[in-house]
Amino acid sequence: MLENYFPILVFLAMAIGMAVVMQVLSFLLGPRKPDAKKVTQYECGFSPLSAVRIPFDVRFYLIAILFVVFDIEAAFLFPWAVAFKQLGMIGFVEMILFLLVLLVGYAYVWKKGALEWD
Amino acid sequence: MVADLVFYLFAAVTVAAALGVITSRNQVHSVLFLILAFFTTAGLFVLLKAEFLAALLVIVYMGAVAVLFLFVVMMLDVDFESLRAGVKEHLPMGLFVGAVILAEFAFILSGVHVDEAVQTNAANIPNTQLIGQVLYTKYLFPFEIASLVLLVALIGAVVLTLRKRKDAKRQHIPSQIARTRDEAVELVKVAPGQGA
Amino acid sequence: MSLHHFLILSAILFTIGIVGIFLNRRNMIIILMSIELLLLAVNINFVAFSHYLGDISGQILTFFVMTVAAAEAAIGLAILVAFFRNRSTIDVEEIDSLKG
Repeated sequence: MLENYFPILVFLAMAIGMAVVMQVLSFLLGPRKPDAKKVTQYECGFSPLSAVRIPFDVRFYLIAILFVVFDIEAAFLFPWAVAFKQLGMIGFVEMILFLLVLLVGYAYVWKKGALEWD
Repeated sequence: MVADLVFYLFAAVTVAAALGVITSRNQVHSVLFLILAFFTTAGLFVLLKAEFLAALLVIVYMGAVAVLFLFVVMMLDVDFESLRAGVKEHLPMGLFVGAVILAEFAFILSGVHVDEAVQTNAANIPNTQLIGQVLYTKYLFPFEIASLVLLVALIGAVVLTLRKRKDAKRQHIPSQIARTRDEAVELVKVAPGQGA
Repeated sequence: MSLHHFLILSAILFTIGIVGIFLNRRNMIIILMSIELLLLAVNINFVAFSHYLGDISGQILTFFVMTVAAAEAAIGLAILVAFFRNRSTIDVEEIDSLKG
């Protein structure tokens, strides 16, 4: 069974090897003469005006949390869908219950306006 | 044996990445090391024939949870250097506790003897289907509780982070749609010469 | 590659997680990441036992651990964000007042 994954392993080794070889070659072969002007951040000819790191808006984070929760919900759907025939009606009902509970959360989030972007 | 080689490779990378998580000076590097640790663990899960969990680790942990951490690191404008101030003093204590815990593990592990009966999956059911068959019958109740855990996480996150700005001007689409011609347009008869 | 190999790996990971909490005890983000490492170590244990004892229940428990861990990370980081908004720091030693 594990033999089925051998191509993936080869693929992984090739990808890592390729990346490492390219990095090492460019490190070994490329000429480097750094000076102060070359290594500063490039900002259209100015010297840098402010710190490069700009804090994100918290709304991105809220969307990410919603994504995590519904991602897990979707993960619970996979084994259910694969074993659906064996589970029969009871499996269907319990999944509907599961989805209903999360639907309550979804309705709450919607009502609170967390899905809006203004 | 290839599987043994792959195990040692993945295990070594996992341990190295875990060390990277706790020792990196840069927070972003810490998160990236965490992602690497998740990935190699997914590889180990494949070796253990738990393909569904391996996929789950990649989808949920690397795709969602690690991104959440990355968001927070990028979002908060924290002076991380000052937070590392105590590391030097805590190092002996941390190493001592680590050594004690490792010794305990070694003590317990030396006594563990399991009859490794790798039961060959007789009916040759795929891993995901097997999980589904057991999860939705034997573990029905924990499964429904899991939905409540997720519900709490959802509501808690919204309560904690959502903050509506009072001063922002918003578009209210339903009222725009519900507007009728009568209340929006007024026709006025203007006599010739009177229009200003 | 036997059960003991996986148990030893998991023990090492768990220890690294604990040491991480001790080393970075001011930085809450690293503490949360260390907790993720601890849970990862536990998951490896579960899956290894599940494989070598031929019982699928270990994998299902890992599934639940992952669910709870994701919820924990979401809530923990939300608390972190709310705390940072009020106090402009994530130093754990500053979190010492219960007065709302």
